Amino acid sequence: MARHTLILGMGNPILTDDAVGVRLADDIGTALSDHPDVDVMAECSVGGLNLLEHLEGYRRVVVMDAIHTEGGEPGSCYYFKATSLRPTANLNNIHDANFATALALGRKLGHDLPTDDQIHIFAVEVLDDLTFGSELTPELTQAYPGFRELILAGIRRILTEPILGNQEAAHGAHDRTERWPHGDSSTHPRGGPRPVTGLLRQPRPW
Amino acid sequence: MSRQIIIDPITRLEGHGKIQIILDDEGAVEDCYFQIPELRGFERFVEGRPIEELPRIVTRICGVCPASHHLASAKAVDGCFGGQIPPLAAKLRDMYYHAHYIHSHIAHFYALAAPDFVVGPGADPAQRNILGVVAKVGREIGEQVITARSQAQRIQTIIGGRSTHPVWCLPGGVSKGLTSDELDEIKPMVANLAGFVTFSLQLFRDVVLGNPEYVDLILNGPYTLDLHNMGLVDENNAPNFYDGLVRVVDFEGQEICKYAPDEYADHVAEHVEPWTYLKFPFLKQRGWQGFVEGPDTSLYTATPLSRLNVAERMATPRAQEAYEEMFSTLGGRPCKALLASHWARLVEMVQNYEMLQQYCDDPEITGDQYRVVPDRITGEGVGIVEAMRGTLTHHYTCDENGLCTSANLIVGTTNNNAAIHMVTKKVAATMIKPGVEPDEGILNLVEMAFRSFDPCFSCATHSLPGRMPLKIDLIQGGEIVHTFQRDAS
Repeated sequence: MARHTLILGMGNPILTDDAVGVRLADDIGTALSDHPDVDVMAECSVGGLNLLEHLEGYRRVVVMDAIHTEGGEPGSCYYFKATSLRPTANLNNIHDANFATALALGRKLGHDLPTDDQIHIFAVEVLDDLTFGSELTPELTQAYPGFRELILAGIRRILTEPILGNQEAAHGAHDRTERWPHGDSSTHPRGGPRPVTGLLRQPRPW
Repeated sequence: MSRQIIIDPITRLEGHGKIQIILDDEGAVEDCYFQIPELRGFERFVEGRPIEELPRIVTRICGVCPASHHLASAKAVDGCFGGQIPPLAAKLRDMYYHAHYIHSHIAHFYALAAPDFVVGPGADPAQRNILGVVAKVGREIGEQVITARSQAQRIQTIIGGRSTHPVWCLPGGVSKGLTSDELDEIKPMVANLAGFVTFSLQLFRDVVLGNPEYVDLILNGPYTLDLHNMGLVDENNAPNFYDGLVRVVDFEGQEICKYAPDEYADHVAEHVEPWTYLKFPFLKQRGWQGFVEGPDTSLYTATPLSRLNVAERMATPRAQEAYEEMFSTLGGRPCKALLASHWARLVEMVQNYEMLQQYCDDPEITGDQYRVVPDRITGEGVGIVEAMRGTLTHHYTCDENGLCTSANLIVGTTNNNAAIHMVTKKVAATMIKPGVEPDEGILNLVEMAFRSFDPCFSCATHSLPGRMPLKIDLIQGGEIVHTFQRDAS
């Protein structure tokens, strides 16, 4: 039986701001504890092919992660769907298949995975993800309550949206243009994510 | 005209590997700098913490090889508590690690190496990925890849409780043993892995060795370096991934040194360059000689190929056959063709599955003497294992209360830093000629070079969107004249 929604926190809990996705997933998972159809994996530090088994069977996935963009302001939030990652399916990761490639491979092999349209990604601009430390930088600590509430509100709205079964969606909604509350501004005009140029920046508030 | 190019190592390109190639006035390659981001502050982070916590903390250093850090750290912590663990604990740790090796090597071979050879080194980059491999070899093989990875992961989970971020190793042994029921679950998975590894080796023979162009590329392309080789060996000079002595042989196969982990500081030193934070380890007794190959070099590689180059034999029979086949095809041992590391990974996996089979048949493996609680603090320990990406050293000291006072790590990729730098320059010199307009083909060739090392550039492996971080700037007369970059657009 298909499971419903998985909230996934990505990051390293002892790498300063890289921990922000893990913290958010933990916090937001607690805030959503009244949703029995929501599972939370607060610390997911695997990528590539290993992700497939974590996503298997879910109809919707919400990922929280850290992101670095050129000139980005720490604490800025970004939202996009896995549809935006499709162009990266042709690129290699360092050690493994990247996220989009792993998803494409999993679907090709018949794994029961959520459609790209139902993989929602929230990313927070970070300042330091190279220094070992168990605390966020002061800048991110200060901004944390604000973006936490924004993301929580965004997830609550996502949870109200109906989702098709994976098979139906695969035939119908798989390639449709994504729509998020204020239009399609989170999507690069050519459909791909451009975190380094800041084109994914979502005007606040959502 | 000679120019000095100063590159601020603080510059960070969102996790990119940044390569700057300096051209002379005629347009030929004069020098090359390979910069990568490095995680920092680990030593300070762990100082003052209970030393027994370190094996649990270090798994967060790297999301790709957490087991390697866990085991090296556990061995260093064992040393801080007197160094004794029961034989069963060593067997279980070793068994766990063989499964981890298979898990890692399968991903590298099918997701990163096979695209170059199965799909083809000259193929469109858009096709050179695991999807292209599956399109070529069939969906069924793709399913087998996923199944084998999952089984290797499951074996780690059964033995150590977790596959990622293990917390299983404790001072003096491990926290749990293996039950008969658990062993029964492992056995059929090991049998399947044996079949899958055998298939993968045959695929390599058919696709790579069956193509003279590929063999020529491996042996005669720019991907060769006359550097020394490092790897961990057992008492018979066979590869041992978890324990043993570090052996170094020169590029002609003569042994330079062989040392116990706690002697590492007598044999390895680290050189610092002003343009990168990442250090360059070298053989201390030869002194820093610069980025040179041949008899004068003090540089070494620590890769899957290096491990087989330092080994005089494999530890298991089928692996021995695969090892002999490899070196007879490549013209003998040692082999200096860096791309042969892809083949070496397959040979290593043969030893991995055979060792797993041996442990499955070992009547002592389900015993209950898997830990001796330490009764003293001796204050210092060095743990060395062979991470998939090279020899991994953890060195800790602690005070009389068991609180960490220092930690020094030499991670796998750091050993290969100089080699990656040198081969990149070599590839660049092959591709960039005076009067010839360079093209993006250089990206593919450089990728192939450093992919053979499977380098750990950064542990933020989850970073969105998960693309190969690579940017190449060609600089002439102090100006950037070309930029090539892998990008999503």
